[in-house]
Amino acid sequence: MKEVLFMTVAVVGVGYTDFRSTTPDVSFKEQMFEAAAKAYQDAGVHPRKDIGSFITGAEDYWEGYSIFDEFVPDQLGATLRPVCTISGDGLQALLTGAMQVKTGLMDVVAVESHSAASDLLSFHGIVSHGLDPVYNRNMNVNPFFVAGLEMRKYLSETKASREQCARVVTKNKLNAMDNPLAAYPAVMSIEEVMKSEMVSNPLTRRDISPLADGAIVMVLASEKKAKELSENPIWLKGMSWISETPWLESRDWSDATYARLSSEKAFKMADITNPQKQLDLVEVDDWFSYKELQHLEAIGVCEKGQAGKLLEQGQFDRDGDTPVNVSGGRLGAGNLLEASSLQSVLECVIQLRGHAGKRQIKGAHTAAAQSWRGVPTATGSMLVLSNEK
Amino acid sequence: MSFDKNTNPLKLHHLVGDMEADYIYTPGVAGDKFFKALRDDEKFLATHCESCNHTYMPPRMYCERCFSKLDKWVEAESTGVVDTYSLAHEDRDGEKLAEPVIVAFIRIDKTDGGIIHQLGGVDHESVKIGMKVKAVLKDKSKRTGGLNDIDHFAPA
Ligand SMILES: [Zn+2]
Repeated sequence: MKEVLFMTVAVVGVGYTDFRSTTPDVSFKEQMFEAAAKAYQDAGVHPRKDIGSFITGAEDYWEGYSIFDEFVPDQLGATLRPVCTISGDGLQALLTGAMQVKTGLMDVVAVESHSAASDLLSFHGIVSHGLDPVYNRNMNVNPFFVAGLEMRKYLSETKASREQCARVVTKNKLNAMDNPLAAYPAVMSIEEVMKSEMVSNPLTRRDISPLADGAIVMVLASEKKAKELSENPIWLKGMSWISETPWLESRDWSDATYARLSSEKAFKMADITNPQKQLDLVEVDDWFSYKELQHLEAIGVCEKGQAGKLLEQGQFDRDGDTPVNVSGGRLGAGNLLEASSLQSVLECVIQLRGHAGKRQIKGAHTAAAQSWRGVPTATGSMLVLSNEK
Repeated sequence: MSFDKNTNPLKLHHLVGDMEADYIYTPGVAGDKFFKALRDDEKFLATHCESCNHTYMPPRMYCERCFSKLDKWVEAESTGVVDTYSLAHEDRDGEKLAEPVIVAFIRIDKTDGGIIHQLGGVDHESVKIGMKVKAVLKDKSKRTGGLNDIDHFAPA
Protein backbone atom coordinates (compact mmCIF):
# COMPACT_ATOMS: atom_id res chain seq x y z
CA MET A 1 0.00 0.00 0.00
CA LYS A 2 2.77 2.41 0.92
CA GLU A 3 4.45 1.89 -2.43
CA VAL A 4 1.24 2.78 -4.24
CA LEU A 5 0.74 5.91 -2.15
CA PHE A 6 4.16 7.22 -3.08
CA MET A 7 3.76 6.59 -6.78
CA THR A 8 5.27 9.49 -8.66
CA VAL A 9 3.25 11.71 -11.01
CA ALA A 10 4.48 13.93 -13.82
CA VAL A 11 3.13 16.54 -16.20
CA VAL A 12 3.79 15.13 -19.67
CA GLY A 13 1.78 17.50 -21.84
CA VAL A 14 0.49 21.07 -21.79
CA GLY A 15 -1.86 22.86 -24.16
CA TYR A 16 -3.31 26.33 -24.04
CA THR A 17 -4.97 29.12 -25.94
CA ASP A 18 -3.72 32.69 -25.90
CA PHE A 19 -5.21 34.68 -23.05
CA ARG A 20 -7.37 37.51 -24.38
CA SER A 21 -9.61 40.24 -23.01
CA THR A 22 -12.49 39.02 -25.20
CA THR A 23 -13.05 36.03 -27.49
CA PRO A 24 -16.25 36.77 -29.38
CA ASP A 25 -15.17 34.60 -32.31
CA VAL A 26 -15.01 31.28 -30.43
CA SER A 27 -17.13 29.47 -27.86
CA PHE A 28 -15.66 28.23 -24.59
CA LYS A 29 -15.98 24.69 -25.99
CA GLU A 30 -13.85 25.59 -28.99
CA GLN A 31 -11.25 27.13 -26.67
CA MET A 32 -11.20 23.94 -24.59
CA PHE A 33 -10.88 21.86 -27.75
CA GLU A 34 -7.92 23.93 -28.93
CA ALA A 35 -6.10 23.65 -25.59
CA ALA A 36 -6.88 19.93 -25.31
CA ALA A 37 -5.74 19.11 -28.84
CA LYS A 38 -2.44 20.91 -28.21
CA ALA A 39 -1.91 19.19 -24.85
CA TYR A 40 -2.59 15.71 -26.27
CA GLN A 41 -0.25 16.45 -29.19
CA ASP A 42 2.42 17.65 -26.74
CA ALA A 43 2.04 14.48 -24.64
CA GLY A 44 1.80 12.18 -27.65
CA VAL A 45 -1.49 10.67 -26.50
CA HIS A 46 -4.91 10.22 -28.07
CA PRO A 47 -7.86 10.97 -25.77
CA ARG A 48 -10.05 8.23 -27.25
CA LYS A 49 -7.63 5.47 -26.29
CA ASP A 50 -4.77 6.65 -24.04
CA ILE A 51 -6.35 8.85 -21.37
CA GLY A 52 -8.06 7.13 -18.44
CA SER A 53 -9.85 10.06 -16.82
CA PHE A 54 -10.75 13.70 -17.48
CA ILE A 55 -11.13 16.37 -14.80
CA THR A 56 -12.15 20.00 -15.12
CA GLY A 57 -12.04 22.76 -12.50
CA ALA A 58 -15.10 24.98 -12.96
CA GLU A 59 -17.97 26.72 -11.18
CA ASP A 60 -21.53 26.75 -12.56
CA TYR A 61 -21.97 30.47 -11.89
CA TRP A 62 -18.85 31.48 -13.84
CA GLU A 63 -20.04 29.36 -16.75
CA GLY A 64 -23.72 30.28 -16.92
CA TYR A 65 -24.76 26.61 -16.90
CA SER A 66 -26.34 24.48 -14.23
CA ILE A 67 -24.61 21.12 -13.79
CA PHE A 68 -21.64 22.37 -15.84
CA ASP A 69 -19.85 19.01 -15.78
CA GLU A 70 -22.45 17.79 -18.31
CA PHE A 71 -21.02 20.28 -20.82
CA VAL A 72 -17.37 19.19 -20.85
CA PRO A 73 -16.92 15.66 -22.26
CA ASP A 74 -17.26 16.18 -26.02
CA GLN A 75 -14.68 18.95 -26.53
CA LEU A 76 -12.11 17.03 -24.46
CA GLY A 77 -12.50 13.73 -26.27
CA ALA A 78 -14.01 12.35 -23.08
CA THR A 79 -17.46 11.02 -23.97
CA LEU A 80 -18.18 7.50 -22.61
CA ARG A 81 -15.22 7.91 -20.22
CA PRO A 82 -14.69 8.78 -16.54
CA VAL A 83 -15.28 12.56 -16.27
CA CYS A 84 -15.80 14.84 -13.32
CA THR A 85 -15.75 18.54 -12.52
CA ILE A 86 -14.15 19.83 -9.37
CA SER A 87 -16.05 22.83 -8.12
CA GLY A 88 -12.81 24.61 -7.38
CA ASP A 89 -9.81 26.12 -9.06
CA GLY A 90 -7.68 24.43 -11.71
CA LEU A 91 -4.99 23.47 -9.23
CA GLN A 92 -7.52 21.63 -7.07
CA ALA A 93 -8.59 19.78 -10.21
CA LEU A 94 -4.95 18.96 -11.00
CA LEU A 95 -4.35 17.65 -7.48
CA THR A 96 -7.43 15.43 -7.84
CA GLY A 97 -5.97 14.09 -11.09
CA ALA A 98 -2.62 13.51 -9.41
CA MET A 99 -4.34 11.46 -6.71
CA GLN A 100 -6.08 9.30 -9.32
CA VAL A 101 -2.64 8.52 -10.73
CA LYS A 102 -0.98 8.15 -7.32
CA THR A 103 -3.50 5.56 -6.22
CA GLY A 104 -2.83 3.54 -9.34
CA LEU A 105 -6.43 3.91 -10.53
CA MET A 106 -5.30 5.72 -13.70
CA ASP A 107 -2.09 5.84 -15.75
CA VAL A 108 -2.89 8.99 -17.68
CA VAL A 109 -5.28 11.81 -16.68
CA ALA A 110 -6.22 15.05 -18.47
CA VAL A 111 -6.93 18.16 -16.38
CA GLU A 112 -8.63 21.25 -17.75
CA SER A 113 -9.62 24.71 -16.59
CA HIS A 114 -10.71 27.76 -18.53
CA SER A 115 -12.20 31.21 -18.29
CA ALA A 116 -14.96 32.67 -20.43
CA ALA A 117 -15.00 35.80 -18.29
CA SER A 118 -15.94 38.09 -21.17
CA ASP A 119 -19.26 36.24 -21.46
CA LEU A 120 -20.20 37.27 -17.90
CA LEU A 121 -22.68 40.12 -17.98
CA SER A 122 -22.96 40.33 -14.19
CA PHE A 123 -19.49 39.60 -12.81
CA HIS A 124 -19.90 41.65 -9.62
CA GLY A 125 -23.33 40.15 -8.99
CA ILE A 126 -21.87 36.65 -9.17
CA VAL A 127 -19.05 37.57 -6.78
CA SER A 128 -21.67 39.15 -4.47
CA HIS A 129 -23.51 35.83 -4.40
CA GLY A 130 -20.37 34.33 -2.86
CA LEU A 131 -21.04 36.42 0.24
CA ASP A 132 -23.06 35.03 3.14
CA PRO A 133 -26.68 36.03 2.37
CA VAL A 134 -27.69 36.54 5.99
CA TYR A 135 -24.71 38.45 7.39
CA ASN A 136 -22.64 39.88 4.51
CA ARG A 137 -24.94 40.83 1.65
CA ASN A 138 -26.74 43.61 3.49
CA MET A 139 -24.53 46.43 2.17
CA ASN A 140 -25.00 47.51 -1.41
CA VAL A 141 -21.28 47.77 -2.22
CA ASN A 142 -18.81 46.15 -4.62
CA PRO A 143 -17.97 42.71 -3.13
CA PHE A 144 -14.27 43.60 -3.52
CA PHE A 145 -14.80 45.56 -0.29
CA VAL A 146 -13.57 42.32 1.29
CA ALA A 147 -10.20 42.85 -0.44
CA GLY A 148 -10.24 46.52 0.61
CA LEU A 149 -10.68 45.44 4.25
CA GLU A 150 -7.93 42.84 3.99
CA MET A 151 -5.52 45.18 2.19
CA ARG A 152 -5.97 47.87 4.87
CA LYS A 153 -5.27 45.32 7.62
CA TYR A 154 -2.27 43.91 5.76
CA LEU A 155 -0.74 47.38 5.24
CA SER A 156 -1.39 48.27 8.87
CA GLU A 157 0.11 45.06 10.30
CA THR A 158 3.16 44.79 8.07
CA LYS A 159 3.88 48.50 7.49
CA ALA A 160 4.10 47.65 3.79
CA SER A 161 3.42 50.76 1.72
CA ARG A 162 0.82 51.59 -0.88
CA GLU A 163 3.70 52.15 -3.33
CA GLN A 164 5.01 48.63 -2.72
CA CYS A 165 1.61 47.19 -3.68
CA ALA A 166 1.63 49.32 -6.83
CA ARG A 167 5.10 47.96 -7.63
CA VAL A 168 3.65 44.43 -7.72
CA VAL A 169 1.37 45.61 -10.53
CA THR A 170 4.16 47.28 -12.51
CA LYS A 171 6.49 44.27 -12.07
CA ASN A 172 3.92 41.71 -13.18
CA LYS A 173 2.75 43.73 -16.17
CA LEU A 174 6.39 44.22 -17.19
CA ASN A 175 7.02 40.47 -16.83
CA ALA A 176 4.01 39.87 -19.08
CA MET A 177 5.75 41.85 -21.86
CA ASP A 178 7.86 38.75 -22.50
CA ASN A 179 5.01 36.26 -22.21
CA PRO A 180 3.42 35.91 -25.65
CA LEU A 181 0.25 34.40 -24.10
CA ALA A 182 -0.38 37.35 -21.77
CA ALA A 183 -3.47 39.53 -22.20
CA TYR A 184 -2.35 42.61 -20.25
CA PRO A 185 1.37 43.31 -20.69
CA ALA A 186 2.32 46.94 -20.06
CA VAL A 187 5.09 49.26 -19.03
CA MET A 188 3.13 51.02 -16.33
CA SER A 189 4.30 53.54 -13.77
CA ILE A 190 3.72 53.21 -10.04
CA GLU A 191 2.01 56.60 -10.20
CA GLU A 192 -0.49 55.30 -12.77
CA VAL A 193 -1.48 52.48 -10.41
CA MET A 194 -1.78 54.78 -7.41
CA LYS A 195 -3.72 57.45 -9.28
CA SER A 196 -6.21 55.06 -10.85
CA GLU A 197 -9.74 55.37 -9.53
CA MET A 198 -10.55 54.11 -6.05
CA VAL A 199 -12.69 50.98 -5.90
CA SER A 200 -12.55 50.18 -2.20
CA ASN A 201 -9.92 52.37 -0.56
CA PRO A 202 -7.01 51.57 -0.37
CA LEU A 203 -7.70 49.26 -3.34
CA THR A 204 -7.62 51.02 -6.73
CA ARG A 205 -8.71 49.86 -10.18
CA ARG A 206 -5.14 48.91 -11.18
CA ASP A 207 -4.59 46.89 -8.00
CA ILE A 208 -7.26 44.52 -9.35
CA SER A 209 -6.28 41.97 -12.00
CA PRO A 210 -8.22 42.45 -15.25
CA LEU A 211 -10.35 39.53 -16.49
CA ALA A 212 -9.28 37.44 -19.46
CA ASP A 213 -10.51 34.45 -21.48
CA GLY A 214 -8.49 31.31 -22.15
CA ALA A 215 -8.22 27.57 -21.65
CA ILE A 216 -5.42 25.34 -20.34
CA VAL A 217 -5.15 21.55 -20.43
CA MET A 218 -2.48 19.39 -18.78
CA VAL A 219 -1.79 15.69 -19.18
CA LEU A 220 -0.58 13.86 -16.06
CA ALA A 221 1.00 10.42 -16.10
CA SER A 222 2.38 7.79 -13.75
CA GLU A 223 6.16 7.40 -13.55
CA LYS A 224 6.19 4.41 -15.89
CA LYS A 225 3.97 6.10 -18.48
CA ALA A 226 5.76 9.44 -18.10
CA LYS A 227 9.09 7.86 -18.99
CA GLU A 228 7.51 6.20 -22.02
CA LEU A 229 5.76 9.34 -23.23
CA SER A 230 8.09 12.20 -22.43
CA GLU A 231 11.73 13.22 -22.72
CA ASN A 232 11.24 15.99 -20.18
CA PRO A 233 8.53 15.04 -17.68
CA ILE A 234 7.97 17.61 -14.93
CA TRP A 235 7.49 15.83 -11.62
CA LEU A 236 4.96 16.78 -8.98
CA LYS A 237 6.98 16.80 -5.75
CA GLY A 238 4.57 18.14 -3.14
CA MET A 239 0.95 19.25 -2.99
CA SER A 240 -1.69 20.43 -0.54
CA TRP A 241 -4.88 22.45 -0.34
CA ILE A 242 -6.55 24.15 2.63
CA SER A 243 -9.86 25.90 3.34
CA GLU A 244 -10.14 28.27 6.27
CA THR A 245 -13.46 29.16 7.89
CA PRO A 246 -15.97 30.68 5.48
CA TRP A 247 -17.07 33.15 8.18
CA LEU A 248 -15.50 36.55 7.52
CA GLU A 249 -16.28 37.30 11.19
CA SER A 250 -14.02 34.46 12.40
CA ARG A 251 -10.92 35.38 10.38
CA ASP A 252 -7.93 37.26 11.69
CA TRP A 253 -7.84 39.41 8.50
CA SER A 254 -4.08 39.79 8.33
CA ASP A 255 -2.58 36.40 7.53
CA ALA A 256 -3.15 34.12 4.55
CA THR A 257 -3.30 31.06 6.81
CA TYR A 258 -4.56 28.85 3.95
CA ALA A 259 -1.36 29.67 2.05
CA ARG A 260 0.89 29.08 5.05
CA LEU A 261 -0.63 25.70 5.92
CA SER A 262 -0.88 24.39 2.36
CA SER A 263 2.73 25.37 1.62
CA GLU A 264 4.01 23.85 4.86
CA LYS A 265 2.45 20.52 3.90
CA ALA A 266 3.51 20.65 0.26
CA PHE A 267 7.06 21.74 1.12
CA LYS A 268 7.38 18.91 3.63
CA MET A 269 6.45 16.39 0.92
CA ALA A 270 8.92 18.01 -1.47
CA ASP A 271 11.76 18.33 1.09
CA ILE A 272 11.74 22.10 0.78
CA THR A 273 13.13 23.45 4.03
CA ASN A 274 14.26 26.84 2.73
CA PRO A 275 11.84 28.02 0.03
CA GLN A 276 13.81 31.19 -0.66
CA LYS A 277 16.94 29.17 -1.50
CA GLN A 278 15.45 25.99 -2.96
CA LEU A 279 12.78 27.42 -5.25
CA ASP A 280 14.11 28.78 -8.53
CA LEU A 281 10.86 30.57 -9.28
CA VAL A 282 7.50 31.03 -7.61
CA GLU A 283 4.10 31.79 -9.10
CA VAL A 284 1.72 33.07 -6.40
CA ASP A 285 -1.82 34.32 -6.66
CA ASP A 286 -1.98 38.07 -7.39
CA TRP A 287 -5.71 38.61 -7.96
CA PHE A 288 -5.09 41.85 -6.03
CA SER A 289 -1.67 43.52 -5.82
CA TYR A 290 -1.24 43.13 -2.04
CA LYS A 291 -2.06 39.40 -2.22
CA GLU A 292 1.29 38.71 -3.89
CA LEU A 293 3.16 40.24 -0.93
CA GLN A 294 0.89 38.53 1.61
CA HIS A 295 1.23 35.16 -0.12
CA LEU A 296 5.04 35.39 -0.38
CA GLU A 297 5.22 35.94 3.37
CA ALA A 298 2.69 33.20 4.10
CA ILE A 299 4.55 30.57 2.10
CA GLY A 300 7.82 31.48 3.80
CA VAL A 301 9.76 33.01 0.91
CA CYS A 302 10.38 35.83 3.40
CA GLU A 303 9.39 36.95 6.90
CA LYS A 304 6.09 38.72 7.53
CA GLY A 305 6.46 42.41 6.67
CA GLN A 306 9.53 41.93 4.47
CA ALA A 307 7.99 41.23 1.05
CA GLY A 308 7.45 44.89 0.13
CA LYS A 309 11.05 45.83 0.92
CA LEU A 310 12.50 42.82 -0.90
CA LEU A 311 10.31 43.65 -3.90
CA GLU A 312 11.76 47.18 -3.96
CA GLN A 313 15.26 45.72 -3.81
CA GLY A 314 14.49 43.67 -6.92
CA GLN A 315 14.62 40.25 -5.21
CA PHE A 316 11.37 39.17 -6.89
CA ASP A 317 12.28 40.51 -10.33
CA ARG A 318 12.95 38.06 -13.12
CA ASP A 319 16.69 38.37 -12.47
CA GLY A 320 16.31 38.51 -8.68
CA ASP A 321 16.98 35.83 -6.04
CA THR A 322 13.43 34.48 -6.14
CA PRO A 323 11.66 35.44 -9.38
CA VAL A 324 7.94 35.84 -8.65
CA ASN A 325 5.18 35.68 -11.27
CA VAL A 326 7.54 35.66 -14.24
CA SER A 327 4.47 34.81 -16.34
CA GLY A 328 2.89 38.12 -15.39
CA GLY A 329 0.45 36.46 -12.98
CA ARG A 330 -3.21 37.43 -12.98
CA LEU A 331 -2.23 41.11 -13.15
CA GLY A 332 -0.19 40.74 -16.34
CA ALA A 333 -1.28 37.51 -18.05
CA GLY A 334 -4.93 38.18 -17.14
CA ASN A 335 -7.32 36.95 -14.47
CA LEU A 336 -8.53 33.60 -15.82
CA LEU A 337 -10.82 32.97 -12.82
CA GLU A 338 -10.49 29.25 -11.91
CA ALA A 339 -7.89 28.71 -14.64
CA SER A 340 -5.30 31.17 -13.31
CA SER A 341 -3.86 28.57 -10.97
CA LEU A 342 -3.28 26.28 -13.98
CA GLN A 343 -1.65 29.28 -15.67
CA SER A 344 0.77 29.36 -12.71
CA VAL A 345 1.48 25.64 -13.11
CA LEU A 346 1.86 26.14 -16.87
CA GLU A 347 4.55 28.80 -16.33
CA CYS A 348 6.41 26.46 -13.95
CA VAL A 349 6.26 23.62 -16.51
CA ILE A 350 7.47 25.84 -19.38
CA GLN A 351 10.31 27.20 -17.23
CA LEU A 352 11.35 23.76 -15.93
CA ARG A 353 11.38 22.44 -19.49
CA GLY A 354 13.66 25.36 -20.42
CA HIS A 355 11.17 26.55 -23.04
CA ALA A 356 10.44 30.04 -21.69
CA GLY A 357 12.44 31.94 -24.32
CA LYS A 358 13.24 35.52 -23.35
CA ARG A 359 11.85 35.09 -19.86
CA GLN A 360 13.67 31.79 -19.13
CA ILE A 361 15.09 31.51 -15.60
CA LYS A 362 18.47 29.92 -16.27
CA GLY A 363 19.05 26.57 -14.63
CA ALA A 364 15.56 26.43 -13.08
CA HIS A 365 14.87 22.99 -11.66
CA THR A 366 12.40 23.51 -8.82
CA ALA A 367 9.34 25.78 -8.91
CA ALA A 368 6.18 26.36 -6.89
CA ALA A 369 2.65 27.34 -7.92
CA GLN A 370 0.34 28.74 -5.22
CA SER A 371 -3.35 29.46 -5.70
CA TRP A 372 -6.15 31.37 -4.00
CA ARG A 373 -9.82 31.14 -5.01
CA GLY A 374 -10.52 34.86 -4.69
CA VAL A 375 -12.97 36.97 -2.71
CA PRO A 376 -14.53 36.06 -0.32
CA THR A 377 -12.74 32.72 0.09
CA ALA A 378 -9.82 31.74 2.29
CA THR A 379 -9.06 28.65 0.23
CA GLY A 380 -5.78 27.95 -1.50
CA SER A 381 -3.44 25.28 -2.80
CA MET A 382 0.27 24.72 -3.29
CA LEU A 383 2.12 22.57 -5.81
CA VAL A 384 5.89 22.03 -6.01
CA LEU A 385 7.30 20.88 -9.36
CA SER A 386 10.75 19.78 -10.47
CA ASN A 387 12.47 18.59 -13.61
CA GLU A 388 14.45 16.14 -11.45
CA LYS A 389 12.65 13.13 -10.08
CA MET B 1 -6.38 25.94 -34.55
CA SER B 2 -9.96 25.87 -35.76
CA PHE B 3 -10.10 25.53 -39.51
CA ASP B 4 -12.56 28.27 -40.42
CA LYS B 5 -12.61 30.92 -37.73
CA ASN B 6 -14.91 33.86 -38.19
CA THR B 7 -12.85 36.80 -39.38
CA ASN B 8 -15.77 39.17 -39.90
CA PRO B 9 -16.77 40.83 -36.63
CA LEU B 10 -20.08 41.94 -38.16
CA LYS B 11 -21.05 38.30 -38.42
CA LEU B 12 -20.42 37.41 -34.77
CA HIS B 13 -23.44 35.91 -33.07
CA HIS B 14 -24.44 35.71 -29.46
CA LEU B 15 -27.48 34.98 -27.36
CA VAL B 16 -28.23 36.78 -24.13
CA GLY B 17 -29.36 34.47 -21.34
CA ASP B 18 -30.47 34.89 -17.76
CA MET B 19 -29.65 32.36 -15.07
CA GLU B 20 -32.65 32.71 -12.81
CA ALA B 21 -31.69 31.88 -9.26
CA ASP B 22 -34.13 33.07 -6.61
CA TYR B 23 -33.84 31.59 -3.16
CA ILE B 24 -34.92 31.96 0.39
CA TYR B 25 -32.05 31.83 2.84
CA THR B 26 -32.71 30.62 6.38
CA PRO B 27 -30.70 32.14 9.23
CA GLY B 28 -31.30 28.90 11.16
CA VAL B 29 -31.89 28.36 14.87
CA ALA B 30 -28.92 30.48 15.95
CA GLY B 31 -29.57 33.30 13.48
CA ASP B 32 -33.27 33.38 14.36
CA LYS B 33 -32.54 33.80 18.06
CA PHE B 34 -29.86 36.42 17.33
CA PHE B 35 -32.05 38.56 15.09
CA LYS B 36 -35.14 38.33 17.35
CA ALA B 37 -33.12 39.46 20.39
CA LEU B 38 -31.65 42.31 18.35
CA ARG B 39 -35.05 43.40 17.00
CA ASP B 40 -37.13 43.04 20.16
CA ASP B 41 -34.69 43.54 23.05
CA GLU B 42 -31.77 45.42 21.44
CA LYS B 43 -29.47 42.69 22.72
CA PHE B 44 -26.46 41.10 20.98
CA LEU B 45 -26.54 37.37 21.73
CA ALA B 46 -23.57 35.08 21.16
CA THR B 47 -22.86 31.39 21.73
CA HIS B 48 -19.95 30.18 23.82
CA CYS B 49 -17.83 27.04 23.61
CA GLU B 50 -16.54 26.17 27.07
CA SER B 51 -13.91 23.68 25.96
CA CYS B 52 -12.38 26.19 23.52
CA ASN B 53 -13.23 29.28 25.60
CA HIS B 54 -14.41 30.83 22.36
CA THR B 55 -17.46 33.08 21.91
CA TYR B 56 -19.12 33.14 18.50
CA MET B 57 -20.46 36.37 17.04
CA PRO B 58 -22.60 35.90 14.96
CA PRO B 59 -23.74 32.95 17.09
CA ARG B 60 -23.54 29.39 15.78
CA MET B 61 -25.00 26.14 17.06
CA TYR B 62 -21.68 24.35 16.73
CA CYS B 63 -18.01 25.06 17.39
CA GLU B 64 -15.79 25.09 14.29
CA ARG B 65 -12.73 24.46 16.48
CA CYS B 66 -13.74 21.34 18.46
CA PHE B 67 -16.84 20.32 16.49
CA SER B 68 -19.11 20.23 19.53
CA LYS B 69 -22.73 21.37 19.66
CA LEU B 70 -23.16 24.71 21.38
CA ASP B 71 -26.10 25.55 23.63
CA LYS B 72 -24.61 28.11 25.98
CA TRP B 73 -25.88 31.58 25.08
CA VAL B 74 -24.24 34.73 26.43
CA GLU B 75 -25.08 38.39 26.06
CA ALA B 76 -22.39 40.37 24.28
CA GLU B 77 -22.07 44.14 24.05
CA SER B 78 -23.35 46.43 21.33
CA THR B 79 -19.90 47.98 21.27
CA GLY B 80 -16.68 46.93 19.61
CA VAL B 81 -13.44 47.95 17.97
CA VAL B 82 -12.73 48.66 14.29
CA ASP B 83 -10.48 45.80 13.20
CA THR B 84 -10.18 47.02 9.60
CA TYR B 85 -12.12 49.31 7.26
CA SER B 86 -12.44 50.37 3.65
CA LEU B 87 -14.13 53.21 1.76
CA ALA B 88 -16.28 51.54 -0.90
CA HIS B 89 -16.86 53.64 -4.02
CA GLU B 90 -18.96 51.22 -6.04
CA ASP B 91 -22.26 49.43 -5.58
CA ARG B 92 -22.76 45.67 -5.73
CA ASP B 93 -22.90 45.78 -9.54
CA GLY B 94 -19.65 47.74 -9.82
CA GLU B 95 -21.42 51.06 -10.58
CA LYS B 96 -20.21 54.28 -8.97
CA LEU B 97 -22.01 55.13 -5.71
CA ALA B 98 -23.30 58.70 -5.34
CA GLU B 99 -21.65 58.76 -1.92
CA PRO B 100 -18.90 56.32 -0.92
CA VAL B 101 -19.62 54.12 2.09
CA ILE B 102 -17.25 53.22 4.93
CA VAL B 103 -17.39 49.47 5.49
CA ALA B 104 -15.71 47.98 8.55
CA PHE B 105 -15.15 44.73 10.39
CA ILE B 106 -16.00 45.44 14.01
CA ARG B 107 -14.76 43.06 16.68
CA ILE B 108 -17.67 42.93 19.12
CA ASP B 109 -16.77 43.29 22.79
CA LYS B 110 -16.95 40.13 24.95
CA THR B 111 -16.79 37.89 21.83
CA ASP B 112 -14.13 36.39 19.57
CA GLY B 113 -16.05 37.41 16.44
CA GLY B 114 -17.67 40.51 15.10
CA ILE B 115 -19.92 42.12 12.55
CA ILE B 116 -19.28 43.58 9.12
CA HIS B 117 -21.23 46.78 8.72
CA GLN B 118 -21.16 50.44 7.74
CA LEU B 119 -19.62 53.19 9.84
CA GLY B 120 -21.52 56.45 10.24
CA GLY B 121 -21.02 59.77 12.01
CA VAL B 122 -17.33 59.80 11.13
CA ASP B 123 -15.17 60.87 8.15
CA HIS B 124 -13.14 58.26 6.33
CA GLU B 125 -9.98 60.23 7.18
CA SER B 126 -10.78 60.08 10.90
CA VAL B 127 -11.38 56.33 11.07
CA LYS B 128 -8.57 54.39 12.72
CA ILE B 129 -7.97 50.71 13.26
CA GLY B 130 -8.60 50.13 16.97
CA MET B 131 -11.25 52.86 17.18
CA LYS B 132 -14.11 52.14 19.61
CA VAL B 133 -17.57 52.09 18.06
CA LYS B 134 -21.14 51.24 19.08
CA ALA B 135 -24.13 49.92 17.16
CA VAL B 136 -26.83 52.44 16.24
CA LEU B 137 -30.10 50.55 15.79
CA LYS B 138 -32.94 51.55 13.51
CA ASP B 139 -36.12 52.86 15.04
CA LYS B 140 -38.06 49.91 16.49
CA SER B 141 -40.94 50.37 14.01
CA LYS B 142 -38.54 49.98 11.08
CA ARG B 143 -36.80 46.80 12.18
CA THR B 144 -37.32 43.66 10.10
CA GLY B 145 -35.28 41.04 11.95
CA GLY B 146 -32.12 41.22 9.83
CA LEU B 147 -28.66 42.70 9.99
CA ASN B 148 -29.99 46.01 8.66
CA ASP B 149 -31.82 46.47 11.99
CA ILE B 150 -28.40 47.89 12.84
CA ASP B 151 -28.37 51.17 10.89
CA HIS B 152 -24.61 51.61 11.28
CA PHE B 153 -21.82 51.68 13.85
CA ALA B 154 -20.74 55.09 15.16
CA PRO B 155 -17.78 56.25 17.28
CA ALA B 156 -18.44 55.34 20.93
ZN1 LIG C 1 -15.03 24.37 20.80
